[in-house]
Amino acid sequence: MQSNSFDFLAILRALAKHEVEFIIVGGVSAVLQGAPVSTFDIDLVHLRDPENIHRLLAALGELDATFRGMGDRVLRPDPAHLSSSGHQLLMTRHGPLDLLGTIGTARGYEELLPHTMEIRIAEFTLRILDLETIIEIKEELGHDKDRASIPVLRRTLEEISRKSKGE
Amino acid sequence: MVPEDAHREQGIPPRRNGFHYAEDGVDVTLIRWMLSLTPTERLQVLQQNIQSLRRLIDAIEFI
Repeated sequence: MQSNSFDFLAILRALAKHEVEFIIVGGVSAVLQGAPVSTFDIDLVHLRDPENIHRLLAALGELDATFRGMGDRVLRPDPAHLSSSGHQLLMTRHGPLDLLGTIGTARGYEELLPHTMEIRIAEFTLRILDLETIIEIKEELGHDKDRASIPVLRRTLEEISRKSKGE
Repeated sequence: MVPEDAHREQGIPPRRNGFHYAEDGVDVTLIRWMLSLTPTERLQVLQQNIQSLRRLIDAIEFI
C-alpha cells in the first residue's frame, strides 16, 4: 500500500480530534523546533492506557491506518499492538505514521513527559519532545542514521539559545 | 550591508565559496531561516520538501 499524499497536519488533526494523548518525537518534532532536517514519516509515542488506546484506534480508523510492508495483506492495528512497547509502522491515507510504545532506553510516554513542551499549530495544541532529549536519545541509539543528524540538531539548539539571549 | 558582512556580524565565518557553514559543516543560514518561521510554516516546509522530492522521482525517465 502506498500513500501519495503526505499531510502531517491532517494526521495530527485526526489524532487531536479524538483527544489522543501522544508526544511527537523524532524528525517532525525537530522540524517544529526549527531544525532543517527531513523525514518521511511522523513518529509518535502514545500513552498506553486502555482509554487512550481506544481513542487512538478511533483516530486510526478515520485515517485508514494499516501496517506497512505487508505486501498484499491488509493488517490493521488492534489494542494488543498499541499496548505493546514495540514500534507499529503504519501507512495512513495521509502518509506514514509510526506509533512507538517506547524509544531509546525503553522510555515510554510517562518517562518522556517531563522532557516535552506544548506548541500551538493551526487550531490545536501539540506536545513535542524537546531537542535536548531528541539528541540524547539519538546518542543512546548510536545508529549511523541517528548520529548523522546530531550536528544539525546541536547547532539548532545553539541558535535557539543565541536567539533567546537576543544575540 | 552585503550578505558577507551580515554573516560576519552574526559570527558566521565566511567561506571562500560564499556559503556559510559552522565548523562542523552545518549550514547555519538554513537553521536561522527555519527559526524565523512559525511551527505551522516549518511543518509546511517539510511537507513541501517531501512532495517536491516525490514529484522529482516520479518525473524520472530512465534512458
